[in-house]
Amino acid sequence: MAFVKVAARDTQQDTANPRALEYDALELQLHDESADVRRWAARDLVDCPSASRMLVGRLHEEGDASVREVILTALTIRGDDIAMTGLVECLRSEHVSLRNEAVEAMKQLPEKMAPIIRELLGDPDPDVRIFAVNILESLRHPEVESWLISVIETDPELNVCATAVDLLGEVGSPAARLPLHRIKERYADVPYIQFAAEVALSRLGGE
Amino acid sequence: MAEIEITSADFEKFREFFYRKTGIQFEPSKRYFVDKRLVERIEATQTQNFRNYFTTLRFEASGEELQNLTNIMTVNETYFFREEYQFECLVNSILPDVVSRKGDNGPIRIWAVPSSSGEEPYSIAMYLLEFWAGINQWDVEIISSDIDTEVLAKARAGLYSDRSVQHLPLRLLQKYFKSTGDGHQISQDLRDAVDFTRVNLADRGTTRDYRDFDVVFCRNLLIYFDDISRRGAAETIYDALKPEGFVCLGHSESMSRFSSLYKVRKFDEARVYQRPADSK
Ligand SMILES: C[S@@+](CC[C@H](N)C(=O)[O-])C[C@H]1O[C@@H](n2cnc3c(N)ncnc32)[C@H](O)[C@@H]1O
Repeated sequence: MAFVKVAARDTQQDTANPRALEYDALELQLHDESADVRRWAARDLVDCPSASRMLVGRLHEEGDASVREVILTALTIRGDDIAMTGLVECLRSEHVSLRNEAVEAMKQLPEKMAPIIRELLGDPDPDVRIFAVNILESLRHPEVESWLISVIETDPELNVCATAVDLLGEVGSPAARLPLHRIKERYADVPYIQFAAEVALSRLGGE
Repeated sequence: MAEIEITSADFEKFREFFYRKTGIQFEPSKRYFVDKRLVERIEATQTQNFRNYFTTLRFEASGEELQNLTNIMTVNETYFFREEYQFECLVNSILPDVVSRKGDNGPIRIWAVPSSSGEEPYSIAMYLLEFWAGINQWDVEIISSDIDTEVLAKARAGLYSDRSVQHLPLRLLQKYFKSTGDGHQISQDLRDAVDFTRVNLADRGTTRDYRDFDVVFCRNLLIYFDDISRRGAAETIYDALKPEGFVCLGHSESMSRFSSLYKVRKFDEARVYQRPADSK
């Protein structure tokens, strides 16, 4: 046996994206039986002017994780209001994997997330606020530390504060020292906060 | 000719455009590298200033200038037997796994993208011939692709410098190359073993027909991408693979940081990624 060649396709130029006419077909393909077809449809829909709604709708019904991941990427690339609202809605989903996948996708979007993060950190649902803190974990954005500080200064929920304290230990600077001391006082009787704040303080340095 | 100036606003415009076309992200620290090449192309095309040049770049139907520019903007560093442990992994662990699941007698398909000037796909071919007994039993198809048409021409020509071959064992150099006045010419058999094609991994149009691969090598490209483009590339490769097919990345690259599509497979020689089996 040996090496063989089966004439792979060689394109000299990048090819155009699907034309408007094809969008209807893509919508059908987004609901095809085969996950391969659904993934390709989601990828192609990135350039379709009104695709965000369609993609968000599919996301919540989609049973295959690989298709969900592709839809989430498409929404993050699009980044329009409907796409962003759709991503945020995932944080309220009962579907645990979808929630986590959406958090991962949002971490990739520092500029687009900035205005939304503030809103999420003020969300009435503490779970959503915890997810928002999780997103901050790898959001490379200059304001991450100040957002975290404002969480530990103002958030009424212990678990949200605890998540933010942990993260401050990783991404904070000496500017977080005072707020960390204050939260230790505020939750003087909660051993976990005492412990987490101590760990964070010891990592920050700058004493 | 008057001095050609690239302003910060020009740089930003170009950076965004080039990123959308290729997935390649130039940090502001690469400004000098980029400006120098832009000026070079503005002079070569006699477009006089950035504005005219940028218009050509965007609206030229043939895409020729975009290709010329891409060719000089890419970093093509590569050499034979680079990160050799992965080739060991290919012959000792990955291919045995592929073969054990193979339900037909069709060829085993390998895609090496990016190829750069061909050292990597030719190394794979040599490794199979030298270190994999299965080559006597199976047909293998190796396709290797790059966005840069100049390196593809070099790859097809197969003429290499001393530096390119410096990590090759002497025995293999003697066996598969002929010394010529200006370098080392790889044998016709190896040149026939690899099919080189132009592909832009950030463009769905060019990758659409790349499917059913058992193994994909995608080494030392994702380092030039940002996380969103990396996610896109991970998806493209996923669709190019058969279920349970494998991906090898460069040693400093990790799929898990930006994509959860793949399972990690730890073999003795290397850690690689695997597309999960199709769910029933
Ligand atoms: C540093 S070389 C890596 C070559 C080889 N895989 C290795 O590891 O030695 C990177 C190559 O990626 C190619 N490249 C950059 N952007 C690309 C894209 N969007 N699609 C395909 N190839 C691309 C460049 O032209 C360059 O040849």
